[in-house]
Amino acid sequence: MATDLRISNISKIYPGCVANDNVSLQFKSGKIYALLGENGAGKSTLVKILSGVISPDNGEVFLNEKNLKLSSPLDAKKNKIGMVFQHFNLFETLSVFENLSIDATEDNKSLRVRINEILKKYNFSIDLDIPVLNLSAGQKQKVEIIRCLLRSPKVLIMDEPTSVLTEQETEELFISLKKFCDEGILIIYITHKLKEVLSLCDEVAVMRKGKVVSVSQTQNEKVETLANKMVGQKLAKIKKKINISKNKDEIFKVKHLNFYSDDPFETSLVNLNFSVKKGECLGIAGISGNGQNELFQILSGEIITPDTSIIFRNKEIAKLNPKQRREYLMAFSPEDRISQAAVPELKIYENVALNNFKSSNFFEKGLVNERKIKEHSKKILSDFSVNTDNVELKSQFLSGGNLQKLILGRELITAPELLICYNPTWGLDVGAINYIHETLIKINDQEKSTILISTDTEELLKLSDRIAVIYKGKLSKIMPSEEVTPEKLGVLMGGGSID
Amino acid sequence: MIKIEKRNDVPMALYFFTPFIAIILTILGGGIIFYILGFNPIEALKFYFITPISNLYGLSELLLKATPLCLIAIGLSFCFKSNNWNIGAEGQLTFGAIVGGGVALLFYNQEGFYILPLVILAGAIGGMFFALIPAILKTYFNTNEILVSLMLVYVSKLLLDYLVVGPWSNPEGFNFPETRQFSDSSRMPLLFEGLRIHAGIFLALGAVMLSWFILYKTYLGFQIKVSGLSLKTAKYAGFKGKTMILVVFMISGACAGLAGVGEITGPIGQLHRMISPDYGFTAIIVAFLGRLNPFGIIFASLVVALTYLGAETAQIFLQIPKYTGQVFQGMILFFLLASDYLLFFKVKILNLKKNELRH
Repeated sequence: MATDLRISNISKIYPGCVANDNVSLQFKSGKIYALLGENGAGKSTLVKILSGVISPDNGEVFLNEKNLKLSSPLDAKKNKIGMVFQHFNLFETLSVFENLSIDATEDNKSLRVRINEILKKYNFSIDLDIPVLNLSAGQKQKVEIIRCLLRSPKVLIMDEPTSVLTEQETEELFISLKKFCDEGILIIYITHKLKEVLSLCDEVAVMRKGKVVSVSQTQNEKVETLANKMVGQKLAKIKKKINISKNKDEIFKVKHLNFYSDDPFETSLVNLNFSVKKGECLGIAGISGNGQNELFQILSGEIITPDTSIIFRNKEIAKLNPKQRREYLMAFSPEDRISQAAVPELKIYENVALNNFKSSNFFEKGLVNERKIKEHSKKILSDFSVNTDNVELKSQFLSGGNLQKLILGRELITAPELLICYNPTWGLDVGAINYIHETLIKINDQEKSTILISTDTEELLKLSDRIAVIYKGKLSKIMPSEEVTPEKLGVLMGGGSID
Repeated sequence: MIKIEKRNDVPMALYFFTPFIAIILTILGGGIIFYILGFNPIEALKFYFITPISNLYGLSELLLKATPLCLIAIGLSFCFKSNNWNIGAEGQLTFGAIVGGGVALLFYNQEGFYILPLVILAGAIGGMFFALIPAILKTYFNTNEILVSLMLVYVSKLLLDYLVVGPWSNPEGFNFPETRQFSDSSRMPLLFEGLRIHAGIFLALGAVMLSWFILYKTYLGFQIKVSGLSLKTAKYAGFKGKTMILVVFMISGACAGLAGVGEITGPIGQLHRMISPDYGFTAIIVAFLGRLNPFGIIFASLVVALTYLGAETAQIFLQIPKYTGQVFQGMILFFLLASDYLLFFKVKILNLKKNELRH
């Protein structure tokens, strides 16, 4: 039976922000629909409305011309709307089967039969009796999908499903989604990845600032046209960087980096060895949770590991803390902007003072030199085009992109020889991403080096001169980036081997 | 159905205003309690909050009680601001009093201008040392400072007990559990003839100024602020976390020790079992009521000191036990926490129809 989902004049207003502004869309089964938009475009709000998590201020949802009342996630389930969120809602310590049986209405025996049928039908290979924490991200997602399929959904909504997947897992996901589509399930695919829209979806709705700005057939679209619709302005295209690494000096060298942890939420690192040349960007790819957190903290000096040797500009710095490393002109931009790189409750100039080292003179003889810090902050705000000039503003009022500009500005204004950044564009919109990519390229041009730890392969390919992949705490061999393809990275990131 | 949501932006002005709401609610709550007990609430509240400070002697008593509360709370604010939960100020006060009192007893039959400063210094060092115990255990052995600092309160109280009945008891004291009287050179100078208010108040005011300076104008204060908001950020910025824990505990302990020594060299003049009506614990309420702000703490210490005085007046005039003072202190904390909750979260009552309630 065909499914027809219609959203009519949905509005949702949050204080100070119109999340959805009179959104009307129509979806029919047999097609895969993309909902495309930047962060904060209103995609998530719309999806949350469809899945009953929040209620709209205005507007209605019709499924096969029946007006749906979605006031809780249970209503969505009852109406056969299934939803796979970006962050999994699974109990890590329970087995796959236990996770699936939690909200099941049937007895375990028949549930197991039905799950096995689904596994067979879609060629999923998942052991039902191992704890979820042993699964890869792709497998966890499959468990979530199975949970939806068990309720024989009419509509399946996928929210940014590939952000945690390898290239292989993404391909597998796309095959499954196409199969579901052929079986008459209406699929709504939320993303900000343009290529995925083109390769997977039939029709694309672009949202911007809470409004639907375009609905079109993907066959009539190109990456550039979609990007322009999404951002609403002509994007200056960043040139792929010319590889400049010749026989340059190695300014940063890591030997025998080992880190052992008992904590199941941490990853042990096994004998990492690498070096960075002057003016070079070393990319470290990998799916999150493979040791990037630990690696970043060891490189920044937050974790000191015994027996590791880190040589920076001919000096051994392995025993130094982050502040001391900064004295040697290293800079760090952690992944977590809101609770690590900056404190939202602090004012902008106070966050700037976090990058403090002797020559900054922010604190003279133990006293705060507020005037100096504020002057310095003003310079950062203007040099790095943060959209405010008020250094007294609390950082929580900056958008993600502006906060990241502030953090990068804070780290870079001291002209460090080496910047280590971890997912610098995570969760940012295209405009901000471009700005940050340009900045990172610029510092390489100035013969300064960068280590870019990132889970975004596109970003890595664009910015790195050499790339290595971290998988389960081990580093692959380091490859010149022109030899690397997304597929190769995907294989390595998923634990496979090439050659 | 009730839904609780975090408020995104809490106005600073309101944040400093809610303590006043809590105080008003406490007074209302007290009135209701008096009414239930069969008193005229207006009159009872007058005995509680007006009578005690309606003459010069009363005002002096108010400042006398506010002094240790203010000192301790100032110290605690360093700990609390940096996420170190030192709740053993009472123990640090007691230990400071023991060490300071010990020095005072050494000079029991001597006079000299240098004695009082020595005694005060000894008290501060004593409190500092006693606060270092939970701090060191926390930094090097990962113990929980809440438990350790709390348990150490009883250690120091029992030590004081032992000293005043045993080795330090007054040889001419007919076996009363108390030491000799300190010599006049070990006593805080009185500010006015006939009133008990003494020079210790300048220690408290000095602590307020100094703490304001440290918290808002120095690198240490900046580190304390950042660590309190996000330990991850403090680590990332390369602050020496362990050193900072030790320092804030030492500051806190020194303040509590000063409060202890101020009591024994001020109104008490000797060591005995009851040197503090739980000032160390009550100061926790003072610190939070004052929003961990040095000047807020001055105000809060006066309010809470009044509950001590009011309880004594109420005992005399209304024949109700003075422990009602603790009821009032409890109410202040309760209403403060409750109004903070409403300040930081909003409660929404969602209207659900019957059929929606079923699933």
